[in-house]
Amino acid sequence: MIFTVLIPLLLACFVPFISKFKHKIHTGTVIFFIPLAIFFYFIQFIGSGFEPIRHTYSWIPSLGINFDFYLDGLSLLFVLLISGIGALVVLYSVYYLDRSEPLGHFYVYLLMFMSAMLGVVLSDNVFVLYTFWELTSISSFLLIGYWHFKEKSRYGALKSMIITIFGGLSMFGGFALLSVISGTTSIQTMIANADVILDNPYMPLALGFILLGAFTKSAQFPFHIWLPDAMEAPTPVSAYLHSATMVKAGLYLVARFSMIFGSYEWFFIIVSIAGIVTLCWASYMAVHQTDLKAILAFSTISQLGMIMAMLGFGTKAAVFAAVFHILNHATFKGSLFMVAGTVDHETGTRDIRKLGGLLTFMPITATLALFGTFSMAGIPLPFLNGFYSKELFFESTLDLEGGASGIAGFLIDVIPYLAVFGSIFTFVYALYFLFGTFGGKTQLDKLVKKPHEAPIGMLVSPGILVLGVILIGLFPSAVNGTFIAHAAEAVYGEPITKDVHFWHGWDSPAFQMSLVVVGLGALLVTTRRKWNGIYQVFPGKLSVNKVYDTIMGKLNAYSRTITTFYMSGSLRNYMAIILSTILVVTVGFMLATDGFTIDFGNLAPITFIELTVVLIIIASAIGTIFAKKNLAVILIVGVAGYGVSLLFLIYRAPDLALTQLVVETVSVALFLLCFYHLPDLKRLHAPLSTRTTNLIISVGFGALMTLVGISAHSSSWFETISDYFIETSKPIGGGSNIVNVILVDMRGLDTLFEITVLGIAALAIYTLIKFKTDKGGK
Amino acid sequence: MSNLAVLPIIIPLIAGIILAFFPKKLALVRTLTKVFIIGNLAVAGFSAWHVFNHGSIILETGDWAAPYGIIIVADQLSVLLVLTTNIMAAACAFYAPYSLPDRKERYYFYTFFFFLITGVSGAFLTGDIFNLFVFFEVLLMASYALIVLGGDKVQLRESVKYVFINLFSSMLFVTAVGFLYGTVGTVNMAQIAQRVQEVDQQGILTAIGILLFFVFAVKAALFPLYYWMPKSYAVPNPVISALFGALLTKVGIYSIIRVFSLIFIHRIDLTHEVFIWIAGLSMIFGVIGALSTNNIKLIIAYNIIPAIGFILWGIGVFNQEAVSGAIYYLIHDMIIKASLFLLVGTIAYAAGTSDLRKFSGLIHYYPFLGWLLFVSGFVLAGIPPFSGFIGKLLLLKGSLADEKVAVVIIALLSSLLILYSIMKIFIRGFWGEKDDTFEPKPVKGRTAPVVALLALSVFLGIGAEFIYPSVESISRYLLDPANYINAVLEG
Amino acid sequence: MEIIILILAGVLFATAIYNLLQKQLLRLIIGSVLLSHGAHLFLLTMGELKRGNPPILTEGISEYTDPLPQALILTSIVISFGITSLLLVLAYRTSNENNTDNMEQLRGNENE
Repeated sequence: MIFTVLIPLLLACFVPFISKFKHKIHTGTVIFFIPLAIFFYFIQFIGSGFEPIRHTYSWIPSLGINFDFYLDGLSLLFVLLISGIGALVVLYSVYYLDRSEPLGHFYVYLLMFMSAMLGVVLSDNVFVLYTFWELTSISSFLLIGYWHFKEKSRYGALKSMIITIFGGLSMFGGFALLSVISGTTSIQTMIANADVILDNPYMPLALGFILLGAFTKSAQFPFHIWLPDAMEAPTPVSAYLHSATMVKAGLYLVARFSMIFGSYEWFFIIVSIAGIVTLCWASYMAVHQTDLKAILAFSTISQLGMIMAMLGFGTKAAVFAAVFHILNHATFKGSLFMVAGTVDHETGTRDIRKLGGLLTFMPITATLALFGTFSMAGIPLPFLNGFYSKELFFESTLDLEGGASGIAGFLIDVIPYLAVFGSIFTFVYALYFLFGTFGGKTQLDKLVKKPHEAPIGMLVSPGILVLGVILIGLFPSAVNGTFIAHAAEAVYGEPITKDVHFWHGWDSPAFQMSLVVVGLGALLVTTRRKWNGIYQVFPGKLSVNKVYDTIMGKLNAYSRTITTFYMSGSLRNYMAIILSTILVVTVGFMLATDGFTIDFGNLAPITFIELTVVLIIIASAIGTIFAKKNLAVILIVGVAGYGVSLLFLIYRAPDLALTQLVVETVSVALFLLCFYHLPDLKRLHAPLSTRTTNLIISVGFGALMTLVGISAHSSSWFETISDYFIETSKPIGGGSNIVNVILVDMRGLDTLFEITVLGIAALAIYTLIKFKTDKGGK
Repeated sequence: MSNLAVLPIIIPLIAGIILAFFPKKLALVRTLTKVFIIGNLAVAGFSAWHVFNHGSIILETGDWAAPYGIIIVADQLSVLLVLTTNIMAAACAFYAPYSLPDRKERYYFYTFFFFLITGVSGAFLTGDIFNLFVFFEVLLMASYALIVLGGDKVQLRESVKYVFINLFSSMLFVTAVGFLYGTVGTVNMAQIAQRVQEVDQQGILTAIGILLFFVFAVKAALFPLYYWMPKSYAVPNPVISALFGALLTKVGIYSIIRVFSLIFIHRIDLTHEVFIWIAGLSMIFGVIGALSTNNIKLIIAYNIIPAIGFILWGIGVFNQEAVSGAIYYLIHDMIIKASLFLLVGTIAYAAGTSDLRKFSGLIHYYPFLGWLLFVSGFVLAGIPPFSGFIGKLLLLKGSLADEKVAVVIIALLSSLLILYSIMKIFIRGFWGEKDDTFEPKPVKGRTAPVVALLALSVFLGIGAEFIYPSVESISRYLLDPANYINAVLEG
Repeated sequence: MEIIILILAGVLFATAIYNLLQKQLLRLIIGSVLLSHGAHLFLLTMGELKRGNPPILTEGISEYTDPLPQALILTSIVISFGITSLLLVLAYRTSNENNTDNMEQLRGNENE
């Protein structure tokens, strides 16, 4: 199985090579055989004797990350959709994409996607699933941005990436949490231990994380906004990724995990609400669109919402209907996208306001569209698969069982009405799409090209899909008996057998709902112009898109404001923030750990000379602040330095005293050299508040250091290691000046690198001075 | 065999000195640089192999037994970091001739470069806290020299800030070491650890620990101490930015790992808890910084901050998985940051500007650069199967096992924004219409090192099975300080 | 006496930091010099002050002042000297190049 998943990815590496010959042979013609082969490989598994298959290949076993492929009924349904529709889409693209386009890129992305999507639905390992999941987002990003010279493509690509990767990361968090809770990375093992997960207090969080992933990917309200913008992608991509496969990954995820969370009441509440709201909102919005693909995008969103809602219901009937509709939606929506692409290709526009009357020019395309739209609308005709699943949907909304909490009970009451509402608008936009494009008057003057029927090759793929629509409609039990039943069983956990009939009798409530839909829908279609103004009122100016644009805009603007606020470039501000942070946190820690101690025993006596020196140093240190002349300040700091070296002398550190003396002298000379010619110090005319802050920080910091110093000095718990140095200095080190022996022997490494530091400093100074004057070289 | 431990410090030192003698003979200098760096890389590789197979190498310099002399401790963490350092240093050495003007190369670039490596390797290897200070100074002094190399207005200006802030933290370092010596009477890290444990980190010790943390945090560029960093890393030549971005901040975070896994581990409820908050804030403010600018070099520089936040997060959580994650992330980030700085430097060179508002559609001329950037973005954001993912996965699991959820959410969101900040460059700079008047410049020599680093980075992710057991063994070793203490004091 | 020296070191830190928070380069450098004095005095006090003789082995004397802090300070003095010299030259070049020694005028902008 690993080969079927990775083959598209591996072969993608050869595409740039193949695409070199694109003028001899369209790259797509070669690629076509890849999904076709995968399709035929998997088709062998259909049958009543199907048992789940598992193949495992190690990847990072020590982290529990393995290519653990698991093929059950649900995966099989998706795998066949991915490869089957994939093959048709590639075939369609051969006629849709001109050879002057960068075909290599297109097919590389497409194959990347195919691998990723197969990986998503076959992986049993959550982290591998996540890996493929992100890869689908990435390839989708690249495909939407395929015509990246268009501003709208770039916008759409970024939007889809931000939203889907946001969801992906959230899902990743959920997976990590689940794997921590359950101690496994395998979904099937998690399902087996569902009770452990359900008992964990963090389960709701994990569920929330995962649902966020599913909702963003499957474009559920309010994350649906990326899908309409994703229509900037070439139409084959829209048909494939953004209608038949990738957007269904979220459904797949919810279906997969419903075995774990299904019994949790909030799972029902959240998923149903998300689904039903999406269904209603998107179908309502679809009627308002003018771009053919936008109508289809909103239609896809609403259909995804419907399936999502059914997965949320989680009843036998609902699960069965959901799975069935995944298949049906792929067939009719895939064909409709191709129809829209064909219309665009042959007329040069997708604007429904400019189209109309194309029936006479493109009769075959129109026929295909007729089947697609009628199936989508759920018109009760025995050869349309859409009707069956719509009817099953209505049935499932009616047999929901009462929940414990008030919300669930309320939901159960209103869901049937919302379902009818959403379906009415589905009916309306389906007919609007059909008649707006093919019916009415032609407006040839508004079209870029003179329309004519598409080449036969372009009609093959949608034709095959429409054939699927009809065949499933005529013989629903052919697929339902084994294929769909297996898929539903994988979601529900027990075998589901469902006999799907066309005719349930006039008294069937679901059929009555269908009749209401058709009746009211027809009424709304005919009077569309009269009530179209409602969109000005609702949603009017409300739009989730605006929220997204505002967030993205503000994200940049606010981050700029924040950053320029504190990244002022002013050293003083930087220092002030750094110092105050250290001050506050360290004081906090001292208080929290009761760190301060003071011990007046074991102190050296205070002598007059020392005190004098100390006072001189203090005086000169403070003097540096008030000195106004360069010369003065340099000399004052010199005094402080000499004072320190005097202290060293008093405290029995002759080597230090000497070194300090030399260093101080040289430093003062250097100071004079560099700053004698510079402008004099100015009065400190900083505002009072700045000066006060400076004062507080500096005094506070000094005090802190003193306090820590006193405490450290008062807490000498151990003998120092110096006694050893005193003992061994002569016998081992061979010198009587212990400090020198330490420096050159015990800590010789320090000294070596101290000299290195000096050396680098010297070289750096040389470079600094010389580089300016040396104008040689380039 | 124990001298092996000190070789990665000595070889670059000698190399630096030798190259200082004939800076004008550029061809020779470049060749020798490559020879030395590859030699050093081989030595580092060998010592890593040796340590992972035969245990830590302890070198008592001057034959003065621990804890009296300075001890060089080549344990698994140290050698792994030294090896990584040399890998990316090698990449920089190969990139440098293309990117630096000859004149800068003549002005001892390679000498400073090797001294920087000396300081960094020394800091990773030393087992003595004062010696750590000395190595810090070596690498800082080398970095001062590198940052001012060329002496443009902007460079001088930013380097002044850089020098002052680091100077302050150095002096704080000396003082804190003094305080530590006052309480436990030693500067040998193993012995400090032993003694701090004996008195149960009571009294003033935690406060001293926090002072040390801040010293390292300034170098590591953690919130809110990183102000000096983005600008001063973005202004120098890309090679220098890469060295800084990949090494300097990492030395800071390494020191935090070392000190807070070995010495100050008895008040984890206080110290490490605060680390998690600082980590979270670093992630937030780091990405905010990265989103705030249109300067592509600055975008990368700001991205250092959340990465350091991720690493600190692991130390804060302080369990097996989180520490493994932190180390994995550390290694990953050293490589990808170097690669990104070099890459963005190349892009800025190719585009003629680093202002994102001033170029677009580069992919028509530099498709390869574009795809490198694209992949780098995913590597950086930790999207699987790349290397950042492994580190992030471990951090996430460690953190969740410890029921620290808020920081997980922050980390996930910041990953998204990190990705966005890089993709912004890709979308705005590379996508777009073809500009027919544009004249592309050759960038082949500059891309090779980037490709090598990126390939390694990808391998770190896909081939995690080869690396992870070593990282896990490091974190197991770190979580039990007795390993280190015994190796030094009783070995 | 130790406490007085510790207070002195604290005062040196305080004045140093006050200088570091100023605008003019020269003051900042002065600040850094004072800072290193403070640090060294802290370090020195951490060994005991005036207990015994200077750490130069002499016949008949067994009490010596702690030699290790002295060795460390010596290293640090030399390093600080190196940095101060570099800083001086850097400051000189910076103020020449940018025509100001006022750090507030050395803020810079984003794209350069």
